[in-house]
Amino acid sequence: MAEVWNWQLNRTMQYHYDEVRPRRQAAAVFDTNKCIGCQTCTMACKTTWTSGHGQEYMLWNNVETKPWGSYPLAWDVKALQLLGPQHWDGDTYTGDTIFEAAPEDKRALGYAPSDIEFAYPNRGEDEVNVSITREKYHLKMPHDMWFFYLPRVCNHCTYPACLESCSRQSIYKRPEDGVVLVDQDRCRGYRVCYEACPYKKIFYNHTTKVAEKCVFCYPALEQGIQPRCMRSCIGKIRSFGYVSTPDEARDDNPIDFLVHVRKVALPLYPQFGLEPNVYYIPPIHVDSDPFLTMLFGPGARRAIDTYVAAMEGDDRELLAALLLAVSSDRIMTRFSVDDDMVSGYTDDGERAVHMPIRVPNVERSPFDPDLNVYRLNTT
Amino acid sequence: MSITHDPTSGTPDRTLVSRRRLLGAGAAGAGAVALGACADDGPNLPAEGEIVSVRTPSVPRRDPASPLWDDAPPTVVVLEGQITAPPYRREPVVADISVRSLHDRDDVALLVEWDDPRPDAATVANDGFRDACAVLLGDPAAGEELRFMGTQQHPVTLLQWKADWQHDVEHGVRTIDDEYPDRSVDAYPPIVTDDPLGITPADYVTADATPWLPGLHVGNLLSAPTRTRCVEKMIAYGFGTTTTTDTQDADGWGRHDGGRWAVVVTKPLAAHDAGELHLRPRGSATCAFAVWSGADGDAGGRKSVSTRTYRLVLREAHGPSPFPS
Repeated sequence: MAEVWNWQLNRTMQYHYDEVRPRRQAAAVFDTNKCIGCQTCTMACKTTWTSGHGQEYMLWNNVETKPWGSYPLAWDVKALQLLGPQHWDGDTYTGDTIFEAAPEDKRALGYAPSDIEFAYPNRGEDEVNVSITREKYHLKMPHDMWFFYLPRVCNHCTYPACLESCSRQSIYKRPEDGVVLVDQDRCRGYRVCYEACPYKKIFYNHTTKVAEKCVFCYPALEQGIQPRCMRSCIGKIRSFGYVSTPDEARDDNPIDFLVHVRKVALPLYPQFGLEPNVYYIPPIHVDSDPFLTMLFGPGARRAIDTYVAAMEGDDRELLAALLLAVSSDRIMTRFSVDDDMVSGYTDDGERAVHMPIRVPNVERSPFDPDLNVYRLNTT
Repeated sequence: MSITHDPTSGTPDRTLVSRRRLLGAGAAGAGAVALGACADDGPNLPAEGEIVSVRTPSVPRRDPASPLWDDAPPTVVVLEGQITAPPYRREPVVADISVRSLHDRDDVALLVEWDDPRPDAATVANDGFRDACAVLLGDPAAGEELRFMGTQQHPVTLLQWKADWQHDVEHGVRTIDDEYPDRSVDAYPPIVTDDPLGITPADYVTADATPWLPGLHVGNLLSAPTRTRCVEKMIAYGFGTTTTTDTQDADGWGRHDGGRWAVVVTKPLAAHDAGELHLRPRGSATCAFAVWSGADGDAGGRKSVSTRTYRLVLREAHGPSPFPS
């Protein structure tokens, strides 16, 4: 076992391999406050990658409703239950990761879901956190009850449990962008990876008898284009780019800005210890801080406060960075803010978008003298 | 469970619970046991840690019930859990196996027998695992290090028989169709048909659509749309390096009867791939064994392995059988 630095836990931890970070790490930020659960991302991924024989129950991208939804069934509840109660001391995780809690005969603590657990991807959809009673509920803020959508793809972790557990070394992390892939030729279908991944984002193909997983649409990345699930997001909740380690974070990198500078985007279940690279802006209307901390770590409340302040107009730069989400198919690795405009730039320095941070409010006269007509606003 | 005798061999089924099983069972627990040594000093009897491969006119490549096997003395091989590379199996599911060997001018064959009351040959479901056995063959000059999947200096040749592959040979490749025939599917693009549930992996080959079955597209043998052999030949240079060879000339067949597997595994004496062991008449090899129990979730490193290596000795002369019929 090696000692590796996990910045999300603010400590070193045990891992089977040495700390070798890619030249840059592909990453995404999902704003849970904007997700409407339309599943367009799910279908974009499904039709692109998993429409083949043996992939029927395989969703590399899914959107589940929290707190009750899960795909596969209860994946996170089971993983948390295996790990047992753990604790944070401020920003430092003092509990065990799944690597440190692994039994002697495995490299990671995990379980293998059965087929039936993949059969209900929408279980718990739109179910609120509390039981609905005969009492009348009135709309008010913050909400009496809540749920939110949690879109999920492979986290392309810095310390992947799937990769670590594969005795065949069939899983690898690309040095150029940190994308985690399964070598389809070397895999022998042992399903140890499937047992080890706590996020349950590696799957077994029932027809080819080998493991498959999200590839982050790497053929698109290689052309500077965002993954399909990101591009198809009609709620524009997703930002794609490359995340740095905290010590190398750049203020003008949109992902670094959201993750490291403003700290509004947080990893999902960081306590597992994988240093996942999909980050979430926590839902602002969830009134349970323990629940948010369990999902996103100790920075959840602080992230919500920062996010809400920005929405109220206190943080133009943060609004600008959020606005870049799905504003272009092209991957933007730098942004700038000038006056009330935000610009996003590609790796080549080309400006991919240039748009107002707030769309000006224009009041139109009901009478158009040029066409000599009256036009009424109907909304 | 429908693992039966190879219908193409022309040899009728026969009960495997024979004198050789009784002899094998009697020696269980004794480690490497030369069964006949206490009864006879004939030329075909194995010494301690030895498996004698008896010369025969033609090895029964797919017939674990052939009477020719009676000419080969059994060696009982004690197994233990694999505890070197995780995931482990601390305790072996199978305590011991019986091994016999025959060879002819061209091939060497080993008959491996072990008790398994719960045969398993389905790998379609997430929790479906196969029964399997493997013979590891390496340089006769190499020592115990060969047990750990060989070394850079001494690669090993692995011959793995897989129960699900044998099922595929007999009945066609098993897919999700066998596990969930009533699933709902709109289409399997890019193949256009009114009956998507009628599509098989072979149709992807015909339609030049293998990118939709990635394992098949890259040529992974596990993903083959059709199958004619149930033994895979591989080479390994240490843990995690096992690689399928370009030439697939190993063969064999298994039979489950009376709660016991009897599996023949064969390979040509001559090597055809880089790193493969080249055997010669009167030659020898270092060998070791592994067994997987699908019902117990065995796969990869979760297996029962022999506690030591054995010397496989190819005896050229036709000696008299030490076992009276």
